[in-house]
Amino acid sequence: MIYTRKTPALFIIGLVMLGIWWLTTSGMMAPVLNHLGTAEKYAGEITTLALYFGVVSFVLGLWAWLGKHKEGNVDYFLGTVAGGMFILIITMLVRWFLAPEIAVLGRSFGEVGETGKYIHELLGLNYIVIGIVTGIIIVNVFSVPEWAQHGVRLSRLGLKTGVILLGTLYSLAELKQLGKLSVVLVGVFVLGSVGVVLWLSKLRKVSNSMGGVLSAGIGVCGVSATVAASPVVKAKSVEIAYTIGTILLWGVGCMFVFPIIGHLMGMGYVQFGAWAGTGILNSAQVAGAALAFQPDGIETLKVAEIFNITRVLFLPIIVLWLALWYVKQEQTTQEVSVGRVVIEKFPVFVLGFILMFALSSTGIFAPAQHYQGKYFDNDIAEEDLLSTDQLAILLSQTDKIERDDQKQAFDRLVQNKKIMSIDDDDEIRGLINSGILSEEANSILADAHKHVRHEAAKIRVFRELITWLFAFGLVGLGMQITVSAMRQAGGQPAVIGGIVGLLKAVLSLIVVLLFVEETI
Amino acid sequence: MSDENKFDRGTALSIFSSDRLEDFIALVISLIIAASVYFFV
Repeated sequence: MIYTRKTPALFIIGLVMLGIWWLTTSGMMAPVLNHLGTAEKYAGEITTLALYFGVVSFVLGLWAWLGKHKEGNVDYFLGTVAGGMFILIITMLVRWFLAPEIAVLGRSFGEVGETGKYIHELLGLNYIVIGIVTGIIIVNVFSVPEWAQHGVRLSRLGLKTGVILLGTLYSLAELKQLGKLSVVLVGVFVLGSVGVVLWLSKLRKVSNSMGGVLSAGIGVCGVSATVAASPVVKAKSVEIAYTIGTILLWGVGCMFVFPIIGHLMGMGYVQFGAWAGTGILNSAQVAGAALAFQPDGIETLKVAEIFNITRVLFLPIIVLWLALWYVKQEQTTQEVSVGRVVIEKFPVFVLGFILMFALSSTGIFAPAQHYQGKYFDNDIAEEDLLSTDQLAILLSQTDKIERDDQKQAFDRLVQNKKIMSIDDDDEIRGLINSGILSEEANSILADAHKHVRHEAAKIRVFRELITWLFAFGLVGLGMQITVSAMRQAGGQPAVIGGIVGLLKAVLSLIVVLLFVEETI
Repeated sequence: MSDENKFDRGTALSIFSSDRLEDFIALVISLIIAASVYFFV
């Protein structure tokens, strides 16, 4: 089979990208970017990414269109470029133009009630959601062009690469804060969900293989868990498809509903990340919800991924449980090789994430104590110390502080004219967020915080790359969500999935609101 | 899963023959990116 299509499509994509680059560098795009309010934010991206990928698409487009192709690896792998660039140009157009235009429209309606947010923010209408919706519309209304179908299969590779690189944003020092909480919270919900699905499956007379694979998909981490658990419970193809359909349908709903609820309830980044990482069934949709909640930063994504990755780490335990459960249910002497399944199916990309996390913790990309590239260093210039006037303003507010830990950090700041430790910095940020001091005092504290928090250039680049990889993967994911795949989720698996999914979402929301503090 | 018939290599969701291979390729790409960032940024 020859995969490269003799069509000018990729060549035209290259021309469009180069056109965007030329219009931007020549200044002709300036009125558009100014209207969208993205001149500062995206001009750098447009002038580099559109040029580089435009040249690649132009050259390979000519080759695809005019060259002779024969079966082989060159055809197979270069044949993916057209589909990859198809996803990429949609991602670019959505990120640079469509999403900002929707934001302009949203702002024109003014803030919604007392929320302090615009309609597009409340609905989570950012480039990630719009990109996925665009993908869904393309596949269901127009269908993915034939020349692009081969390359669209690269989207999951993009997501996995993004997850691995996400490890660079973590450091061991920071994981200590979230680690215990995520393990306990996720552990309870993973084991609980699996148990409830197995119980409901028996109650509703669903086959053991269907119930088993559904419990792994809903309990652990969606599609990869479904695939990993299917051999253990001897699931049939149609049951795997049903499970994936159920998870995707529920996940798509969650991806849109979670950010809206999160914004309406005024949840913080850590709280929402913990909730999404616990309550949403599929890894990609956890990322989608987190980015939809916070499109201009990835604090939420980072926390959600910690919870999500913790969930993935339960996979071997669940696989073991399901194997034992299945053997017991079937009352058969046929052996199920549990150890082999664990070794063969444990997702390597999760190990890659751990590897990147380990590298990041050594301090090769940024000081080892960094948090997504931001790190504490109070060896600051004389002019950045608090002035006498600023100290006077702060001292006038001392009586308002009730918490001892915050008071001590505040006192150390006043004595030394700068924040003295990373823990003190957290206390000061908490003090600012609590809003108990005057606006002027808060502004001084915010400046003191900025002077001791620095950002590593390498991690900033990683963060941009991760955002693009996820955007690419999720737009491609949208192109794989067909109406027929959604319909496959109907029937019993959807009922069970819906009950357990809803239960998990509501209970995890309550637990997160009760036990997760908004501290980073 | 009739979509799988469209391709004689890989699956409907991936150009690679197995999840494991896709995971390894993602790992290799990530390491190349990490090395590039380490040396050039």
